[in-house]
Amino acid sequence: MSEEHFVVIGNGPAGNQAAQTLKEKAPEARVTLISKEREGYYKPCLLPEYMAGKISEDQIYLSTVDAYKEKGIKLRSGQEVVDVKPRRREIVLDHKEVLRFDGLILAVGGRPRIPEPLLVFRDLMMTLKTLEDAKTWIEKISRVDRVLIIGGDLTSLAVTKALIALGKEVYFMLDENAFWPLRCNDDMFQDVSDRLSKRGVKTFYNCKLNSMAQRSEHAVEVRVGDDIFEAGLIGAFFGLVPNVGFLARSGLPLDRGLLVNETLNTGFEGIYATGDCAQVFHPEIRDYWVSIGHDNAKALGRTAALNLLGERRPVDVATESLFDVQGIKVNTSWWMEF
Amino acid sequence: MPNPVIYSKEPEDFYYMDVNVPCQSACPALTNIPAYIRALYEENFGRSYEINRMANIFPGVLGRICSRPCEAKCRHGEAELGRPVNICHIKRSAADLRDRVSSSVKRIFSPTGKSVAVIGSGPAGLAAAHDLSTIGFSVTVFEALDHPGGMLRYGIPEFRLPREILATEIDQILGSGITLKTGIKVGTDVPMEDLMTGHDAVLVSTGCYEPNQLNIPGETMPGVYSGLQFMMDICAGQMPDLGKRVLVLGAGFTAFDCVRSALRLGAEEVAVCLRRTEEDLTVTEDEIFETKREGVKIHSLMVSRRIMGNGVVEGVEFMRTRPGELRPDGKSEVTPIEGSEFTLPTDAVIVATGQRPQPFDTPGDKNNHGLLQADSASFRTSLPGLYVTGDYLTGPSTVIEAVAMGRKAAERIARDLTDQPFREKVVRLEDTLITDRQRAWDFLPRQEMPTIEPVEDRFTGMTGEVETGYSPDLAETESKRCYLCYLHYEIDLNRCIYCRYCIDVAPRDCIKLVDRIETNTSGAITGFEETSNWEDVNAIVIDNTRCIRCGECMRVCPVDCISVTRVELTERMNEKGI
Ligand SMILES: Cc1cc2nc3c(=O)[nH]c(=O)nc-3n(C[C@H](O)[C@H](O)[C@H](O)COP(=O)(O)OP(=O)(O)OC[C@H]3O[C@@H](n4cnc5c(N)ncnc54)[C@H](O)[C@@H]3O)c2cc1C
Ligand SMILES: Cc1cc2nc3c(=O)[nH]c(=O)nc-3n(C[C@H](O)[C@H](O)[C@H](O)COP(=O)(O)OP(=O)(O)OC[C@H]3O[C@@H](n4cnc5c(N)ncnc54)[C@H](O)[C@@H]3O)c2cc1C
Ligand code: SF4
Ligand code: SF4
Repeated sequence: MSEEHFVVIGNGPAGNQAAQTLKEKAPEARVTLISKEREGYYKPCLLPEYMAGKISEDQIYLSTVDAYKEKGIKLRSGQEVVDVKPRRREIVLDHKEVLRFDGLILAVGGRPRIPEPLLVFRDLMMTLKTLEDAKTWIEKISRVDRVLIIGGDLTSLAVTKALIALGKEVYFMLDENAFWPLRCNDDMFQDVSDRLSKRGVKTFYNCKLNSMAQRSEHAVEVRVGDDIFEAGLIGAFFGLVPNVGFLARSGLPLDRGLLVNETLNTGFEGIYATGDCAQVFHPEIRDYWVSIGHDNAKALGRTAALNLLGERRPVDVATESLFDVQGIKVNTSWWMEF
Repeated sequence: MPNPVIYSKEPEDFYYMDVNVPCQSACPALTNIPAYIRALYEENFGRSYEINRMANIFPGVLGRICSRPCEAKCRHGEAELGRPVNICHIKRSAADLRDRVSSSVKRIFSPTGKSVAVIGSGPAGLAAAHDLSTIGFSVTVFEALDHPGGMLRYGIPEFRLPREILATEIDQILGSGITLKTGIKVGTDVPMEDLMTGHDAVLVSTGCYEPNQLNIPGETMPGVYSGLQFMMDICAGQMPDLGKRVLVLGAGFTAFDCVRSALRLGAEEVAVCLRRTEEDLTVTEDEIFETKREGVKIHSLMVSRRIMGNGVVEGVEFMRTRPGELRPDGKSEVTPIEGSEFTLPTDAVIVATGQRPQPFDTPGDKNNHGLLQADSASFRTSLPGLYVTGDYLTGPSTVIEAVAMGRKAAERIARDLTDQPFREKVVRLEDTLITDRQRAWDFLPRQEMPTIEPVEDRFTGMTGEVETGYSPDLAETESKRCYLCYLHYEIDLNRCIYCRYCIDVAPRDCIKLVDRIETNTSGAITGFEETSNWEDVNAIVIDNTRCIRCGECMRVCPVDCISVTRVELTERMNEKGI
């Protein structure tokens, strides 16, 4: 009989933890870790500092290619999964290769959220999720003086810090619908606004973004409330949402994220979802939640792997760490100070 | 000399069309989509409109509100090929950009001397009346309401379908010689028996007007509305006061029209509550997007248990649901999760969970709901001369399905009354040249439909059409994206020298070295047995289900052995018709 083949999609904390656990607990099995990004396993939380030039690229990696080899995990980076066929136990890669699996863990993480009303301006706004995004920021940032940040999620504050360090002028449009992950109230706004102002950031609160138009290669004209100004770059920071669009035709149960029960199973035997892409029903809170955060992702990755190997561990959630964001509960293990 | 044209009725040719022009076979009315897209690209807007009208009667209407089953099947949407062509927006552009001369199709055959009564002037009834009238039947349409159009007029709101567009196309239909009698409810104002004695045939196309109930406590409380009635009231000019917070329960066209109308009536927090997920919605992607942009929240995976309040609505208690096994229709069964009750506060609840046909006084065999029974293939009831079509027959469907069914019922009635076929489907084949399509066009992004901006400007009234239409430039760009799947590329094996240049330039695995070609009993090609062993190669073939009609193979072929045929599924008047 040929050895069992476990496939993990996603080279973030959840995917890494899952692959490692699988190899530890089932050393005979073949474990393949696939990631669409060419870059290895890195810490996204360091991307703003990397942007600011405070640390080098080498310092953000958490693992090397050799480390996977040592652990016996086959890493396929720069390969995108375009479809999953749960009944046939196959995944399809963008170069048309079809891979069979005996067990599958989807740990495809999140993608930047842009609220529908702003999607019309999508081409004029930049986001920050991957190392490649950070490199694009670095390339563009040197040519502009002023940056407008829209939103208000945790990353936006770190990016603002980085921009100030680079000597850029920062405008900040705080949106009450931004992923905070708390809903922004007047007191909070005042607090954040004061801190931002102290560092020389001009803030707008609850103003309507009327229009954005590219005026020249390095200038976008922005109308906010009654103000008109130009910004060299615009960053949109509204948190992350599960990145499951490519699974639309797969037949896997999708809502905001990949729907799983409290053992992270998708309803298909041997197929689990974990980390930021999973949407978990939890009886205690009578609701579904999605997770955000590095530590959560690691813990969830381990649980998914153990359950794929036959355990039935429920994931737990501390009710106090749940926030309601746009009608969906978010379980976050991530908080920081500006 | 023009190329010879062949008309075929061979099953293998119909099979070919079915698998190779996926958009057309997905259209219930079998609209010749590549032909009208090509006509639009050639700036032949009138012709583009007419190709549509021949199949679906209402191009201007459907170009706005069609459910677009074609786009889900468009080859351009296959995994690695990008997004489907905006087929529907192109249809609308043909209607928008043509010279606005309203023209009716004139009678094609001499009068048959027979008369048909059609009950209900929705899309099914009007399509049937139109087809019957143009082939020489005397047709009278009876309509209960004041204006014709059915749900087009009394369900779909004006901000999606301007009434002058609808009126123009209804006038065109009636102009083919149909008599319309409005304000007559058959079964109440006039007995069915009278219609049956006065006409050679009667067609029932009275749609679905009985709203489904939730059957949960609190449903009759003030502040709870039926979605269908709510939309019908708005379409008739009434403006109910809903309060600030509105929850709409349902997932179909009606639910989405209700939430968007509620916003226009001044509600501030509006949400639609789904038993399943957004993935399972049947409304179009564009509509979901615009609805969200307008500020509506979409809550998924919940089912209502009771409506709460003290005399007036104060909230709804729900349970969470969980998707279960996938059903054959691709949707999954959902089950409530025990112990997951929670409440959402609201000022009004709109129940939009579907509707069903309404019984009326009529002879003929009925089912246990009191509805006329009919055979879904022949439209016949237990009584000779009495037929049923449209949503009354099938339950709630879509406008394009209702049109297609109305037309099929008309052909059935015409054949039953005269023993003659009138219209028939044929496959038209014509050798043609390679088109001017460029490979670069395959990479054009899908052109988005412009809408009223900023979004707040949409809420100044109930009527402003949200989608403002493609400019001629946008329409042209979008039309360039269509691969024109009605073109059939073929290698002449007698001339092929097996140089395989074509395989080298092919954009995907469209050209195959095969050992054996699989066919079905009608002789249609159903598959290929490929081989990588040169010894076993018996043919080099183009797999037209994979071909994106880019023409690269033809351009490189050193011996000119690749030919193109335009293959179209179209409609022909039977010469034997009276
Ligand atoms: C800029 C930034 C700063 C952050 N700062 C912090 C912080 O300070 N503290 C904290 O706790 N959290 C932070 N986070 C959040 C944290 O990084 C995430 O919650 C965590 O990485 C989620 O882990 P994951 O493994 O579920 O998914 P991800 O880390 O998102 O990994 C997803 C993986 O899936 C791969 N993938 C996706 N789609 C496909 C596909 N179709 N085919 C193949 N591969 C695919 C991706 O390439 C990637 O390797 C930050 C996030 C960002 C973007
Ligand atoms: C709010 C709403 C929005 C919709 N949006 C879309 C959409 O965007 N796209 C889409 O494809 N479909 C949509 N639909 C569905 C679509 O409108 C219907 O499937 C279609 O209209 C059915 O056509 P029909 O001719 O069978 O029935 P109807 O359109 O319902 O027409 C039936 C006609 O019969 C008349 N009638 C009924 N009883 C009698 C009687 N006893 N005597 C005389 N006349 C009678 C009625 O007054 C009516 O005019 C929508 C439906 C609703 C309710
Ligand atoms: S590319 Fe054109 S012809 Fe082909 S399926 Fe799409 S719309 Fe139809
Ligand atoms: S035209 Fe020729 S090369 Fe182009 S997709 Fe079709 S078979 Fe392939």
